[in-house]
Amino acid sequence: MTEKPKIAIYGLGACAGCDQTVVDLNEILLQLAETVDIVLWPLAMDFKLSRIQAMQDGEVALSILSGAVINSDHHEMAALLRRKSRIVLAMGTCACFGGVPGLANFCGREEMFNQVYRDAPTVTNPDGVRPQPETDVGGRKLTLPEFSGHVFTLDQVIDTDYYLPGCPPPPALIGNAITAVLAGDLPPKGSSLAPRKALCDTCPRNSRKPGRMDIRYFRRIHEVDADPDECFLAAGIVCLGPATRSGCGEACIRINVPCRGCFGPVPGGVGSAPKFLSTLTSLLTVERDDEIEEAIDSLPDPAGYLYRFCQPSSILGRKSLREEEAEA
Amino acid sequence: MEPYDPKIVCFSCNFGWGYLSGEEALGAVISNWIPVICTGKIDTRHILKAFKAGADGVLILGCPEGHCHFQDGNYQTRKKAYLIRKVLGAFGIEPERLDMELAIDPEGKKIPQLLARMKRRLAELGPVKITGDVR
Ligand code: SF4
Ligand code: SF4
Repeated sequence: MTEKPKIAIYGLGACAGCDQTVVDLNEILLQLAETVDIVLWPLAMDFKLSRIQAMQDGEVALSILSGAVINSDHHEMAALLRRKSRIVLAMGTCACFGGVPGLANFCGREEMFNQVYRDAPTVTNPDGVRPQPETDVGGRKLTLPEFSGHVFTLDQVIDTDYYLPGCPPPPALIGNAITAVLAGDLPPKGSSLAPRKALCDTCPRNSRKPGRMDIRYFRRIHEVDADPDECFLAAGIVCLGPATRSGCGEACIRINVPCRGCFGPVPGGVGSAPKFLSTLTSLLTVERDDEIEEAIDSLPDPAGYLYRFCQPSSILGRKSLREEEAEA
Repeated sequence: MEPYDPKIVCFSCNFGWGYLSGEEALGAVISNWIPVICTGKIDTRHILKAFKAGADGVLILGCPEGHCHFQDGNYQTRKKAYLIRKVLGAFGIEPERLDMELAIDPEGKKIPQLLARMKRRLAELGPVKITGDVR
């Protein structure tokens, strides 16, 4: 009997939402368990790191890695699984573009630690305790992974073969991706295993998107009683559909919430943030300087809106360890 | 130590700035100068990439209102520049590092003057430091 292909599923700096979506494959997962050998999946089963370390390089057919790369443990696990795997799939927006954890790059280590361990209203920490990589407890040394000071995408740290965006990606796309890898039916390396169109092109509200927009100020979804069929942007409600890849099944749009951009940029090499920034300003029809300022100021925290899921992969936010290694 | 000499990337519209002097002559005296046909062509990416590549400032020279040969390229870029400035602030890049001037200067004489003025301002700010750009 030939050996079943080995699969590893692992979350780095992740919320476990992506792993949970693998669980949502339901019956497909049971069929999968017949045809593959899941060698690592901490969310669902016990594992021993030494077992993975003892494997031959390239022994694992596919590693599905979710989450951004945030601490020393993530760096080590990403490198280990890269070595052991023939194909690495970055699953979910954090692994692909940095995701919400990537917003930490807007402030840096010190400011972030102050917020999380001191200033947040829900924090009670009178002794100012902060995580330390090493602590001495009764003569024993306890260790914690160290925060790297910068949130990285997976491909900034290891060579990554394929991408599957989404926060989280829908189960159907995950199922398709695994099936395609097992069948060897794959697009060129570096491809995203999601549809290529922009969300606007598949959005049911597109028929209510006017030929020319006339936006004078921006509104946020909680400030209005949005028409469930009208294009959000046409109503001045910020919707990232024009700059975002489709594939989510218009999940937010269908519950009357505008797109926030979790599927990342459409193909073509233009990041979603600069693309959407240009889109937004060109749709504004106010003329005078003071009106322009007032209109743009009506969008609070524009950087947060534009970079919500992609700070670490953005032009100004990106920092590639792999490029640095190559240059060194 | 060498005195700090801020680097500025300057985009200017061919139809309003320096068209009488010729690109070669002006290009010899202005470094990092990118003449374009209409400031409306300057994409958000070009500006962000200039900062990522090490520019201390970006100066955009466009035509005044009513003078755009493409109706409103200058107006589109004016709106864009205002939002980009706010976004730069989030990355720790002072918004005033992106400046835009709307005028007509066929000989381009004012370009070196405007660059010198911006350089003086940038010298006070010092080099760009992008937030979170640490290991
Ligand atoms: S802007 Fe948003 S609501 Fe409008 S068509 Fe695009 S995705 Fe749909
Ligand atoms: S509508 Fe936008 S934010 Fe919502 S799931 Fe789809 S891509 Fe993500």
